[in-house]
Amino acid sequence: MGRITRNKFLSIVALSAMVGLLLLPILVSIPSLVGAQEAPAGAPADAAKKDGEQKVEKGRDVYYKTEGIVVGAPAPKTTDSPKDYPRYNFESRVLLWFANQQHLYYGSFVLAVPIFCMIIEFMGVVTKDKALAKKYDQLAYDFIKISLTAYSLTAILGGILIFTFLTLYPAFFSYLSSIFRPVMHIYALMFVAESGTLYIYYYGWDKMKEGLLKWLHLSMSVILNVIGTVLMFLANSWIGFMMSPAGVDEQGRYLGNIWHVIHTALWNPLNLHRILGNMAFGGGVVAAYAAYRFLSAKTDEDRAHYDWMGYIAMAIGVAFLIPLPFAGYWLMREVYAYRQQMGITLMGGLLAWLFIIQATMIGILFLSSNYYLWQALGRMRGAEKYFKYVKYLVFILVCGYLVFITPHTMVMTPAELKAMGGQQHPVLGNYGVMSAKNGGINVIITTTVLSFIWYMRGNKESTVSWAKFGNIFMGTFFFWAYFNIIWLAIYGYYIPANVRVGLSVPQVATTLSCLFFMTALNGFMMKGAKQLGPIEWGKISVRSQYALIMLATAFTWMMGLMGYIRSSVRLFWHVNEIMRDNSPWAYTHTVGFAANMISFNVLFFWISILFVFWLGTLGVKKIPVEAKAPVPGTAPQPVGGH
Amino acid sequence: MGQTIFYILISTVICVIYFTLVDHFLMDMQGLDYWYLFRK
Repeated sequence: MGRITRNKFLSIVALSAMVGLLLLPILVSIPSLVGAQEAPAGAPADAAKKDGEQKVEKGRDVYYKTEGIVVGAPAPKTTDSPKDYPRYNFESRVLLWFANQQHLYYGSFVLAVPIFCMIIEFMGVVTKDKALAKKYDQLAYDFIKISLTAYSLTAILGGILIFTFLTLYPAFFSYLSSIFRPVMHIYALMFVAESGTLYIYYYGWDKMKEGLLKWLHLSMSVILNVIGTVLMFLANSWIGFMMSPAGVDEQGRYLGNIWHVIHTALWNPLNLHRILGNMAFGGGVVAAYAAYRFLSAKTDEDRAHYDWMGYIAMAIGVAFLIPLPFAGYWLMREVYAYRQQMGITLMGGLLAWLFIIQATMIGILFLSSNYYLWQALGRMRGAEKYFKYVKYLVFILVCGYLVFITPHTMVMTPAELKAMGGQQHPVLGNYGVMSAKNGGINVIITTTVLSFIWYMRGNKESTVSWAKFGNIFMGTFFFWAYFNIIWLAIYGYYIPANVRVGLSVPQVATTLSCLFFMTALNGFMMKGAKQLGPIEWGKISVRSQYALIMLATAFTWMMGLMGYIRSSVRLFWHVNEIMRDNSPWAYTHTVGFAANMISFNVLFFWISILFVFWLGTLGVKKIPVEAKAPVPGTAPQPVGGH
Repeated sequence: MGQTIFYILISTVICVIYFTLVDHFLMDMQGLDYWYLFRK
């Protein structure tokens, strides 16, 4: 016993030392960061002392409007020449687009999956059911195993991206790296820390499977995710700077305050949007992996395991998908607040049609999620009672979807324009405004919440004394929630735009009320509920698995689309209003070309990730556990299984 | 049956009050008037 305790103690010391060593470079670099801010400020002062004639030049921050001492060179004024824009007889922007997108796909995936692992491993640690705990542990291990191969690819793609920048856009990259120089090395060191922590986390799984060491292992996943998130925030600061620069004067000269450069107008909305987006995307990819393994499974045991894995991944993905449109609204609101013209270009001008495509993809995501949940009801005995109501949900969803994707104006020939009497359709055109669209998407999300609640109570019957009132209240609450959302959408047509714009907030609050209050109410009602039948994992239609693959593909396509929209809104600027893009490719592509390019990126990602999945199946080695956990199979799943 | 109707009535009253308060206060927090059309 004493020996075990000593071993544990030594393990903790060793682990702490390793983590400390990993974090040491970052801690060491912090004073140099401060120094980097102070040094340039002090340097001109020293120079001024030495040379009485030299003056300290000051500039005004383009965003914060504060004064600062100029410490950087102005943004280069590039020309369309091989010096500033070397080329390979091919459109350089397309090459960069490809490299960037692939790196982003893999980067998002490897940042999201460790968060999943953390959640699932935590569920395994806290659950009292030993068999279920081992199942969760195995699942978390499966997840991290997939992300490990993808992690190497992310690093390789990151290298390719940097080389693409250096080769094709040297002037721009040189300027950007001069601005972010004080944090560039931190980014690199964080990457080293991330890699180190990930490898210790993965390879230490078997050695740290019990007791305190397990908690230590779990806490490592927290460290891993903190590092990963900071890495992402730093990367986001670059794109935030390119869209809404700060910390520089009107000539693009750095003013010595790195926090201003990082903390631009769009940084926080981008951070939130990307975290949620990554999680939803990661969930989709893991669910697709599980679907692929389910479809190729040879035994019922494997089918049951991958059905369960797909469900968990989908549930996590959709949990983050639900708040994603709200984060998107916040980002757009900040875009409008930063530059109204930028917002108009996005949603009412040049790029507006891409938003119609985006709405279509969002609708597909929610339709696929709902379809999967309805199919999943089939694996529960007792859930048949909901089947007859599914058609009503389909009707509501389709109505919401059709309103959501209706464009404001149509692209038409002059003859069509004349026949219709204008660019706006006399009836359908009314649905092409935000008031209707807010109603549409909130109806879709509320219906998804309702499908989830049905799924969660599928094979259960409440035994609480107030069950009847609870059921009636829940039904009434959803009815009035739909009523309120639709009422606010209609009300918006009759009030001025400056009042109407505020109606989206109570609409969102209505949807969120359904999500939080009704999920909680359902949880209370189902506490100690009577099980009508077991969840038969693996006994689900094959169609449901294709729905998961559809979900993942739609996520991937939408990510590519939104990345393109966000990037192309800068139009002919490398850094908005600071550094002009003078390359021959500083124009906005047609919608068709962009769609083809996005599809190519999606196809490439999926082919490469299928290769990663295939690699994962080679040398399949389940986590060594003393007693093999019972497979989900046909065994009834405890409450936590939902 | 009577009990069901009673429960529906009670639930409706709670929900209508709740959503009206949500609409009113969330508009008010933004400095906007939810009752704009009715006051005109």
